[in-house]
Amino acid sequence: MSAVAFLAGRGGWRPDFWTLVAVAAWAILIVLLLIPLGLVLVSSVRDESGELTLANWQRLFTSARYFNALVNTLIVGFGGLAGALLLGSVMAFCMARIQIAGGRFVSIMAILALVSPPFIGAYSWIVLFGSGGIVRQTLMGWGIFMPPIYGLWGILIVFAFKFYPYVYLLTSGALANVNRSLEEAAENLGLTPFQRVMKISFPLVLPALSAGGLLALIHAIADFGTPRLLGRGFNVLATEAYTAYSAEIGSNLGMATTLSLVLILMSMIFVFIQRYMSRRNVYHSNLINRPEKIRLRGFASVAAHAAVYFIALGGAMPAIIAAIYSVRKTNGPVFQPGFGLESYSRIIATLGDVVRNSLLFSGASVLLIVVIGTLIGCLVARRNTAHSSLLDATLMVPYVMPGIVVGVAFIAAFNTPPLVMTGTAAIIILSVFIRRLPYAVRSSAAALRQVGPSVEEAAISLGYSPVQAFLKVTIPLILPGIVAGAMLSFVTAVNELSSSLVLYVGGTITMPVKIYIAINDGDYGTAASLSTILLVLSGSAIYLAFRLLGRDERALL
Amino acid sequence: MRNWARGRGFFAGMAYLNVEGAIKHYGATTALNGVSFTVAKGEFFTLLGPSGCGKTTLLRSIAGFSQLSAGRVTLDGTDLLAVPPHKRDIGMVFQDYAIFPHLTVADNVAFGLKARKIAASEISDRVAEALATVRLSALSERLPAALSGGQQQRIGIARAMVVKPRLLLMDEPLSNLDAKLRLDLRDEIRDIQRTIGIAAIYVTHDQEEALAISDRICVMDSGSIEQIGTPQQIYGQPATRFVASFVGTMNLFAPAAFGLPDVPGVAQWALRPERLRLAEAGASDDSSFAGLVEHFTYLGREAHLTVQAQGHRLVAQIAAPPADLAIEAGREIQLSFDRADLQAFDAAGRRVRTERVA
Ligand SMILES: Nc1ncnc2c1ncn2[C@@H]1O[C@H](COP(=O)(O)OP(=O)(O)OP(=O)(O)O)[C@@H](O)[C@H]1O
Ligand SMILES: [Mg+2]
Repeated sequence: MSAVAFLAGRGGWRPDFWTLVAVAAWAILIVLLLIPLGLVLVSSVRDESGELTLANWQRLFTSARYFNALVNTLIVGFGGLAGALLLGSVMAFCMARIQIAGGRFVSIMAILALVSPPFIGAYSWIVLFGSGGIVRQTLMGWGIFMPPIYGLWGILIVFAFKFYPYVYLLTSGALANVNRSLEEAAENLGLTPFQRVMKISFPLVLPALSAGGLLALIHAIADFGTPRLLGRGFNVLATEAYTAYSAEIGSNLGMATTLSLVLILMSMIFVFIQRYMSRRNVYHSNLINRPEKIRLRGFASVAAHAAVYFIALGGAMPAIIAAIYSVRKTNGPVFQPGFGLESYSRIIATLGDVVRNSLLFSGASVLLIVVIGTLIGCLVARRNTAHSSLLDATLMVPYVMPGIVVGVAFIAAFNTPPLVMTGTAAIIILSVFIRRLPYAVRSSAAALRQVGPSVEEAAISLGYSPVQAFLKVTIPLILPGIVAGAMLSFVTAVNELSSSLVLYVGGTITMPVKIYIAINDGDYGTAASLSTILLVLSGSAIYLAFRLLGRDERALL
Repeated sequence: MRNWARGRGFFAGMAYLNVEGAIKHYGATTALNGVSFTVAKGEFFTLLGPSGCGKTTLLRSIAGFSQLSAGRVTLDGTDLLAVPPHKRDIGMVFQDYAIFPHLTVADNVAFGLKARKIAASEISDRVAEALATVRLSALSERLPAALSGGQQQRIGIARAMVVKPRLLLMDEPLSNLDAKLRLDLRDEIRDIQRTIGIAAIYVTHDQEEALAISDRICVMDSGSIEQIGTPQQIYGQPATRFVASFVGTMNLFAPAAFGLPDVPGVAQWALRPERLRLAEAGASDDSSFAGLVEHFTYLGREAHLTVQAQGHRLVAQIAAPPADLAIEAGREIQLSFDRADLQAFDAAGRRVRTERVA
């Protein structure tokens, strides 16, 4: 259809730019994904002596322990999904369609919730609502009984507040882009406001809603920090896999990889269901008539503000707690009454290279992610061939791969020649790169589909070569999406824990890994202050994106 | 009235654009089914046809945005399909406008000129002129998101014409404009096209517009060409029943109706509404007949009559009706026509020559 198709088509087998991109994309996927994953698969059907065996798979279904973990994973997955959908869609509707005072502050809070460093989030909930939690103790002091936040319900509450931003960010963007004429047409045809929402707006934002829900679901079933700290005996596949891998005595790599494969499979199935659901609902918006935000009055306005701020502050709470605890006075790892900067001076004195590592590694991986992700995204969006569909499908694999699996797979693949990378910075950078690549591909492909091919064709008909047309028309149009994607990638890269946890050595330790170690050592002051530094980094990345683009929070989508 | 009218028909022989056997399949659908035609330099060539008949597909294939499944296209003697789209120098006005949302109106129009490395001062002159032509001078610094559909459509026209391409393709460029602006702009488009002397292919649904503006018209149906000809030929001598009823209104009736002789090979007769006359009451030559009035519509310049006669519903158009003419429904009137004005079609819908009938 478009320029890309033209280059691909006529004129024989001249290796044009996009063919090179396709070849490079496959090379990357084979080396960094398919070979390591193949080795993981092999290890799940081998015993210690290297013999083929199905024992691990047998144990999965016969042992009550693993079967429970499987069921529990589904429960927290769908529970987390339900919570995220509820909070996310309420927030999205209010923010996209109603004038909310301090809207920018609210969207920053939503992003803080997304970027709360792993582990410190669950830790903060315990600080407030655990058995000895501040809020719980205060309420008990007033005679109000409150169960501690452990077990299934605790996990679900934390997940709802942790994952709602996926739903919110995607859906509010879509809601803000629904052509107002469509809703007006429906109104004009006599539909009540409720029917209008159900019959017009809902189907139109369904792709975004389900994409956001999918992200929440996948993260919920892969998360192991929250169940580990809050579960108290409530185990899921991710925690069992981690236990099987990391046990000092009796480490069972085969079982860990088997459980991880089940996780991947499960996520894959959800991804395909979501894609099937939203397949029929792709539409182009020609941006003619954007909806306006309505101004509510009186009680309705108070209720909308209360809902929005409750969700926003609930989601950002772990980050806020971390910031407060980072300036508590400490003596070694023990908190003292009052405030002080001991935690930060300790970081400056001893952990400078940890901070530097984090910045360097994430910067490098973001650069790779943005450049390669955008190119592949364009390829996938504009070339409707069997080949591009296969590429897209393959990219689903890292999309759903838990970090632990990536770590283990990279160890398996790059510990021996021909390519030895274990212990290097490169292996950490590449592991982050391959895990986040699908996000960049998807977001640039989505942005591109919004643009529609005919503007690019218009530029070509006016005499610009396909590459020039792409640079002059398409790139400016999808730039907000690319920059936003880069910022989110940076934020996730700098917060990346689980694969680095497997891959780090003394010299390549990063901030999230250090936080993990500090929490395990009971050094909460260091953990809180490192978390705060991460938050500030993430926050400034996002602020920068807003400033550069000169737009509101929609630019992040 | 229009001096280019004299040149009509003259164009048919001189091929500038040559499309031969164009076929395009989309999976199971055939959007173009062996389309061949030529367009001469300076000619205004119109594609007319019902929705979905393949007009856009044909334009996009010529511009190079979709690949023909088979066929040849040459422009000025060179094989167009071997030239990448951006080197074809073919201007296109897109059916969905395709305005660059991130550029101002003026930058949209200047976009193609910049690709041609034209001096900045000349660019601003030409942009200003083009914007004046499409009546958008006042909006030149606006972003497209703040414009109406019709205004965006006019940016598309200005943007394609300002570069003076070798061939101009326009896909329903006036579909979203009010009647007055439509008339003004279609004359402007025609004037500019004539002044620059480029060939233009124009797509429209509007038959009146097609008749008014074109040197030649190509009527399409379901991916095939039904007829190519001057407006007079298309309207006056339609090659098929499809063309006859698609362009203008046509009264169709059975072979033996109204005392017509049964001519072998004729499956249907056709008569334009303006060829039906009111006859004197009581007059009865062999081509006059009685009918019952169903509707009478007075339109000032003309009047329309719907009449039920011998099992057929006929439409008659009366030019310059006298002011006191008022025929109430239910009245019986006499109508007549000249047999020379009849057209005949065979069972396959093709035109049959029938000199003998008259
Ligand atoms: N990308 C496509 N994939 C499949 N079928 C298509 C595609 N584009 C067009 N078609 C089909 O080809 C046929 C011709 O379409 P085309 O857009 O050329 O019609 P058109 O004459 O321009 O109609 P309109 O006057 O409504 O614009 C239609 O039946 C249409 O459904
Ligand atoms: Mg069309």
